[in-house]
Amino acid sequence: MKLDPNNILKVHALTKSVQLEDKTLELLQPLELTINAGETLAIVGSSGSGKTTLLSLLAGLDLPTTGEVYLKNHALHQFNEEQRSQVRANHVGFIFQQFLLINSLTALENVMLPAELANISDARQRGKELLAQVGLSERADHYPSQLSGGEQQRVAIARAFIAEPDILFADEPTGNLDNKTGKHIANLLFELNQKKGTTLVLVTHDQKLASRCERQVEMDSGVLTEKTVPHQLNECASTVNKVG
Amino acid sequence: MSANFLDKRAMNKSNLWIKQSLRLLHHEFRRGELTIICLAIVLAVATVFSLSGFSGKIKQALLTNSSSYIAADRVLRTSRIAAPEIIEKSQQYTLKMAEKVETESMVFAGENMLLSELSVISDLYPLRGELKVIKMAEQQVPTVEHAPKSGSVWVEPSVLSRLDIDIGDQVEIGVTSFVIAGIITDIPDRSYRAFIAGPTIILNIADLEKTQLVQPGSRLTYKYLFAGNIDAIKSFEEWIKPKLNDTQSFYDAKQAQSRLSNTLTTAEKFLSLASMLGIVLAAVAVAVASRRYGQRHQPMVAVFKALGASLPHIRKLYYLHWSLLSLISISIGLIVGYCLLLLGTSAMDHYLSLENTSLGYKPLSISVVTGLLCAIAFAIQPIKRLINTSPLSVIRGFSTETLPRFGLHQLPPILALFALLMIFSQDLTMSLSLLIGGMLVSAVLLAFGQGLMSAGRTVGSQAGKSWHLALANLKRRASENSVQLVSFTIAIKLLLLITVMKHSIISEWQQQFPENTPNHYVMNIAEHQLSAIDSFVNANNIQSQGFYQVFRGRLSAVNGESLLNTEMSDEASVEKTQSDKQDKTKTTEKENTPRQGMGRELGLTWGDEIPYQNKLLEGQWWQPEDQQGQVSIESAIAERLSIVLGDELTFDLGGQVFTVPVTSIREVNWQSRQLNFIMVFNKSVLENFPATYISAWMVPEQTKDHLAHFLREFPTITMMDFGAILKQLYQVIEQVSIAIELILILVVLAGSLVLIAQVQASMEERERELAILRTLGAKGSLLRNSVLFEFVALGAIAGLMASFAMEIAVYFLQTQVFDMSASFHFSYWLLGIGVGASFVGIVGLFSCWRLLQLSSVTLIRRTM
Repeated sequence: MKLDPNNILKVHALTKSVQLEDKTLELLQPLELTINAGETLAIVGSSGSGKTTLLSLLAGLDLPTTGEVYLKNHALHQFNEEQRSQVRANHVGFIFQQFLLINSLTALENVMLPAELANISDARQRGKELLAQVGLSERADHYPSQLSGGEQQRVAIARAFIAEPDILFADEPTGNLDNKTGKHIANLLFELNQKKGTTLVLVTHDQKLASRCERQVEMDSGVLTEKTVPHQLNECASTVNKVG
Repeated sequence: MSANFLDKRAMNKSNLWIKQSLRLLHHEFRRGELTIICLAIVLAVATVFSLSGFSGKIKQALLTNSSSYIAADRVLRTSRIAAPEIIEKSQQYTLKMAEKVETESMVFAGENMLLSELSVISDLYPLRGELKVIKMAEQQVPTVEHAPKSGSVWVEPSVLSRLDIDIGDQVEIGVTSFVIAGIITDIPDRSYRAFIAGPTIILNIADLEKTQLVQPGSRLTYKYLFAGNIDAIKSFEEWIKPKLNDTQSFYDAKQAQSRLSNTLTTAEKFLSLASMLGIVLAAVAVAVASRRYGQRHQPMVAVFKALGASLPHIRKLYYLHWSLLSLISISIGLIVGYCLLLLGTSAMDHYLSLENTSLGYKPLSISVVTGLLCAIAFAIQPIKRLINTSPLSVIRGFSTETLPRFGLHQLPPILALFALLMIFSQDLTMSLSLLIGGMLVSAVLLAFGQGLMSAGRTVGSQAGKSWHLALANLKRRASENSVQLVSFTIAIKLLLLITVMKHSIISEWQQQFPENTPNHYVMNIAEHQLSAIDSFVNANNIQSQGFYQVFRGRLSAVNGESLLNTEMSDEASVEKTQSDKQDKTKTTEKENTPRQGMGRELGLTWGDEIPYQNKLLEGQWWQPEDQQGQVSIESAIAERLSIVLGDELTFDLGGQVFTVPVTSIREVNWQSRQLNFIMVFNKSVLENFPATYISAWMVPEQTKDHLAHFLREFPTITMMDFGAILKQLYQVIEQVSIAIELILILVVLAGSLVLIAQVQASMEERERELAILRTLGAKGSLLRNSVLFEFVALGAIAGLMASFAMEIAVYFLQTQVFDMSASFHFSYWLLGIGVGASFVGIVGLFSCWRLLQLSSVTLIRRTM
């Protein structure tokens, strides 16, 4: 299948099931989804609805049981682990709920990591710039354990953008943070996203955060439905402006 | 993705993994995350290096030192002149050779005569040690000599007093006269037999023929002394050993000195055992630490993979990381090992000169191999699992599941452990029994530990709150804890084992050579001298073993069958029996040759009671009033001469022949310096024969000066001082005891490391639990106490099981390996439980202290 030039990600008849001892558990019912380049999309839903499963399939971290996933024209469902990791290195960025910084590396080195893996020659320079953009220039040589939760997530955001990915997956990026810090992180994420023009796929159960995205889809017991909330577009943009 | 971006991409990614690997290593070292694993490898390498170097050096030094006691590196003793090919072969190996012929002969000076021991030596004698002679009456310090000039002899002081002559006078030996040219003060390979014929006279081998002492049938012992490069000596030994017949023996200082040799062998076995246990502990520490390493690195691998790092990239990164970590640890281990070795040798220098000993390549090579084996075999599974971490873990969380306890994945560490034990001990039985024993013990402990911990819960439910929580924790983690428990138990067990064995070996040595061990034999005492000598003994604070009547006689026939007589000393006979037992081919040959005899005159005695430290094995001891003649024989000689209870033995005492039945067989402790007799008769057999008396004395250092006066007063008495050889034995015991202490410290370190590594391995899990408990409002003191009690309980259970396992192991070691009598050590059980509880408790609490001090928010932030 050839993707429309505007589409960055396309999913067709995607299912995921796991085999338990005596029965099969359907995590995802057959679903369709297309995401355009530069779009911001929120996947919302309650715990256990299948949001995270969907995210792992979209990002090529896992393989579907049936169905197809195309990311930048790469048929991820046909790829092995190695090929998928190559695609991730070249096109994908991540932000995790648990931050997942590498404890043995400094903040700067954590940020540089994806750039190095993607063969970007000026990784250090870019890392420093990005740390400056998230307001952590002074903490470049600190280890994650010396940073607060909010600071760690800011480092994670810098890391997510350094390789200028085509698509960024954020899994509950403010889930581990208090309200105020969470809001600040969210602002930062949307600001940078807008600046870089990256496609953003945000998984959250936080309706407020989801509403800052152009588009929302909802997962419920493995079934995906599109939510239309056009009025929130303006709010999203205005918040970004405030932060900047 | 912009074209500009693409341009920026470097074409060459080949060295990224190197860069990242080095960066990781640098940071992790700085942050102390690799300390435990690094220490484990360092300790394994340092232990092996220092111990193998140390024991190698001690062995060399002791052998060199003790070589002086046989005046050579090796001696060939034979009753006939050696075949010329033997001499030629020794020359081919560029060995130095000296000859010594020993015989007994009457010597005359005017009207006086004396039975003496003749040592006929060649010019190179002695090859090791020093022969010291005073050549002029007024000379104070003796000079170091080789053989006397042809035509002259050197004599022991009592020859002069008993023949009433002086330096410069003449003695007749055989048909020739010799000038006395000096007084012997020191003979390196002097015989310490209690029953020698008389004082020693040394003459040059060039004069032997002139004396006409060598006649058909004359009893001579030929000794060929060899010395040289250790490898050449060994090759020569390999060449000559198969060519020896029953009348020849080839020995080194160790074989010649059974006491020294026994002490050394026990010490070597102990050092080797202790080192092996040290290695096992260090290996366990590596295994535990690498498991934790694997778990800690999982998030990193998952993030790397999620961010697009390929599997080969991660594999190379970690292989390099691990290799560098191993190399650094091995290098540090070698340095630490070398420092320990220097420390050990400098501590030992006071007792033993180690200067001329070489280290060789063995310590280096086996310690590096140990380090590599530990680093590779014990870490391969955790690292393989780590590298295979799924990138999906970044979303799904990290698995803490452990591998099944029994399976193929355990093969590499087990094989590696076996290889390590084999490399170090070169003893298949010891390695296999340690390995299989260890595996069985671990399996039993695993099951037993789980049971104990579940039982603890029932008891604990009535106890205080912290205890309750602690025991509930133990129960809940019974499965992981039982693995932890096995490590604790093994560590404590090995520590107890080494302590108990050290104690029992050293006390056994001390028992063998108590403070009052005799250091002099006094011989040729006439009956009329007894009371005067007794008062000398009492006046000079000498501890005497009492006086034994001694008769010189020969065993000539068994059940009427004459014996083939080959010269041999008492101890040599006993040793020969033992070595023949191991050499079955010789036994078969022996069956076809005539019955072997003792080959020389024996010191015979009579007694109403069984001699001190002898044990009756067969038959019965006689009543003092028994009139019928009887003899009791030493068990090893009985076996060697195939004599059984009821056999009729014929003896020849100065031409008078009599036959008596064997009515008992005794075990004699040859290790002691007591007066030991092979044949003991009842009084009725010997009462009519002329006898002299013999005694063994412990002469205190301060009264030694009085002995010269004593000898002048009783010139006919022969006295033999073997204080020097006893002193050397004490020194060896002392040295080896120090070596054992040093090893004990290393083993304790290794054991502690296992405990720390194991506690650290459970840290993440504990962190999560503490966070939950804190959130639920648990007080700091409750948490602290519950952590402390949990570890204390774990340590106490481990201590109890360790004591039990130690007892079994000690029993096996004492009876099977060290040839000692078994003993039980209940006091060590308390020590085991106490040490287990306090050590594990303290280490556990300290390791968790940092966690316990963290605020709830931090804990939650770190773990959620």
